[in-house]
Amino acid sequence: MGGYLARRLAASAVTAFVASIAVFLIVRAVPGDVVAQMLGQVSDPQAAASLRGFLGLDQPVWIQYGRWISAVFSGDLGTSWTGGRPVGPAVFDAFLVTLEIGLLTLALATIVGVPLGIVSGIYEGRWPDNLIQIFNLLGLAAPVFWTGLMLLVAVSSFAGWSPPLIYASPAESLWDNLSILMLPILSLGLLQAAAYSQFVRQNVVTSLNQDYVRTARAKGVTIRILFFTHILKNILIPLITFMGLVLVQILGGVVIVETLFSIPGLGRLLISAIETRDYPMLQGALLVVVVTAMAVNLIIDLLYSVIDPRVRLS
Amino acid sequence: MSVGVQPSHPRRRRWRGAAQALAAAIALTIAALPARAATADLYGPKAADAVKGGTLTFGSLVEPPGLDPYHQAADGRIRFTVLMYQGLFYESETGQAVPLLATGYEVSPDGLVYTIKLRDGVKFHTGQPMTAKDVAYSYNYLRDPKNGSPGAGDLTLIQSIDAIDDATVRITLSKPNGALPMTLGNKYGGVVPAGYFDAADAKQAFNTKSVGTGPFKLAEFKPNSHLALVKNDAYWEAGAPYLDRINILFIPNSASMIVALRNKRVDLALLTRPQDIQQVVKAPGLVMERWPSLNQKALDLGSELSPLGDPRVRQAIALSIDKDEIMRAAVGGYGKVIGTMVPAMQDAWGAPLDQLANQKVDIEKAKKLLADAGHSDLKLTLTTINGYDWMDPAAVTMKQQLAKAGIDLNIQRVDLGVWIKNFQSKQMGFTFNDWATQPDPHLLYYRHFHKAPEGADFRNWNNAEASALLDKGLGETDQAKRKAIYVDFQKILAESVPTVMLFSADHVSVRNENVMNYTQHPTGWFFGLARAYIKK
Repeated sequence: MGGYLARRLAASAVTAFVASIAVFLIVRAVPGDVVAQMLGQVSDPQAAASLRGFLGLDQPVWIQYGRWISAVFSGDLGTSWTGGRPVGPAVFDAFLVTLEIGLLTLALATIVGVPLGIVSGIYEGRWPDNLIQIFNLLGLAAPVFWTGLMLLVAVSSFAGWSPPLIYASPAESLWDNLSILMLPILSLGLLQAAAYSQFVRQNVVTSLNQDYVRTARAKGVTIRILFFTHILKNILIPLITFMGLVLVQILGGVVIVETLFSIPGLGRLLISAIETRDYPMLQGALLVVVVTAMAVNLIIDLLYSVIDPRVRLS
Repeated sequence: MSVGVQPSHPRRRRWRGAAQALAAAIALTIAALPARAATADLYGPKAADAVKGGTLTFGSLVEPPGLDPYHQAADGRIRFTVLMYQGLFYESETGQAVPLLATGYEVSPDGLVYTIKLRDGVKFHTGQPMTAKDVAYSYNYLRDPKNGSPGAGDLTLIQSIDAIDDATVRITLSKPNGALPMTLGNKYGGVVPAGYFDAADAKQAFNTKSVGTGPFKLAEFKPNSHLALVKNDAYWEAGAPYLDRINILFIPNSASMIVALRNKRVDLALLTRPQDIQQVVKAPGLVMERWPSLNQKALDLGSELSPLGDPRVRQAIALSIDKDEIMRAAVGGYGKVIGTMVPAMQDAWGAPLDQLANQKVDIEKAKKLLADAGHSDLKLTLTTINGYDWMDPAAVTMKQQLAKAGIDLNIQRVDLGVWIKNFQSKQMGFTFNDWATQPDPHLLYYRHFHKAPEGADFRNWNNAEASALLDKGLGETDQAKRKAIYVDFQKILAESVPTVMLFSADHVSVRNENVMNYTQHPTGWFFGLARAYIKK
């Protein structure tokens, strides 16, 4: 286990390094001249040249990268070009907000999606299954921005309420925090719950058709006992794998809900950094996204061995 | 004025279209005095019965990238920092520079030396009194190219700025510049305490603490969330401002903005898309108002692109375009067709529309000009910019209009970054443009239309006669003479067509009916918040 972990961490470091080069180059591949954009339409060529020098953009790309990555290794993600604030703390604050949305969405999706999928699988082809399938279809077909917008408009028109617009952290006010995050989590969570439900249903149906299940049923084991002692254990591994995928998908979805609901998370930070071509901020935020995705994968892999002793991490 | 609610306040009727000259004349006899007096007021009209106190929640679709008035060029920054930082002059709504931190000035007979008297009793947000030393320091910092301010380019004619005594500064120019007072306005810089930039973190500190002289102080700035301003209790103007606090919420999505307005989470916001405006026009408790702007939506014709180098082709294009139809398609009627001047400055600086060439549709003449130029079956590609909503319907409408003159229009969309690069390298070709100005004709025209190297001449117009007039206008300080020069310039602009100024979109504000006395400045900057109050 210890050796496995060390090897995985080393491999992750290499991946992160390669990813950092990709992130650095992708950011620079966004069309448009950052200096022109910062100075506006009628900028003075002299001012543009001096700003280019100040930002280090007059240096070759590999030197720019070297400077950036060596600063990253010493724990400094740089300073935002547009706002002048340090990137590290800004990305960290935004990350915490997004993490909260991600985990709560995952919890909602799991709590709603897994039971629905199990019921649907057990009652395959009968009315509870049909009803749940309709929910799944709607959840999967509706894009997040549409669900979010509809929820916002519906709540606003029928209840005359809309979420507060100044973000409050759970430490500042748990109530405000939850009322701000409720609609975004619902709109993201419904989609993921549908995906979950569909996935679990498929696994339950497959398990129910396995030989060992048929044998057990023939010997008189009730479906309830069979389900909790055998089937659930067997679908746990794919379920955990799926959970990792969902979490990474949520990281993508927050870009939309955070913009829609004015939440200062990583998604919104990324969007505004792209719009203003704020390279240091964009690089920092993307790097955090990449590292988070890798960390999620690593944790999932480690969980396998906890759940299923047959999986040897070596 | 075609769609939506009619303006309710006399000042908001200041549209200067020829068709409304009569209405304006009547208004002048009935309500001109208060309206005229109001325009001379700093920041908007004062309210005698204003309620003091309270918090106003302002919704902004645009977010300032930072609050540094010296180095941050984004318009999203300027809109808010004008409430915290002040220059020597205020950009009046009609296009005059009105003394702000100055009280008045004298110009030497050769037009080279400006002696400016400063307002007494002005204190910085830090508590220390403002003196001429601070003024000289601030503008010297701003104009020094080493300091990297995008505002430095406007001040290159300044040779020196000196403090004569505590209440007087002297500005010496290398060449006369009639637009000098306007460049000492509120767009860049603003007076800060002398030595402010000595601190290593000075630029960043603008985001946490304000050090200006304006009516509001910075309370908190949280990027991607909100900006909070509080009343400056030591503000030099007695009784102002009225509000205790302004919470500015950054709401990047207009659907959320509309919901927030309807649910009274937001008291006041500016909307830009006609479809959004129409959603709140009839909402109970909300009031929509329209204001003239300094913005122009234009069609640019870069002479580097064959055959646009031929003036006959450019004239033919101008003669094929029905600006009013394009305006209605593009902004649902929430705008004003223009000739060669933006609406807010039309009165003070604009040439009368009936004196300008190529303003009315004349397809036969257009066809003849194209035939004479040997381009009867002309094919052109129009560039539009991603994210500028008005350009798509405008492009489609224009395609139909140009087809009547036998011009086949192809439309291509590009990203803003790509467009700016083309624009600055003077390869703009045939494109829509969307830009605004400070309210002075020199600042509006010179850089865009003066031939290189003095101007940037983005459209490769290279017109010597027009450039000579722009030089003459720059050197003139007398208002009436200046106007005559710029009217002559505009006639050439309309005749030779390096650009077709199509229309100007109104600023459209939507407010809770309890928000009183808010006026929208034509720049789009939020000066008016210093005069707004909340009715109890």
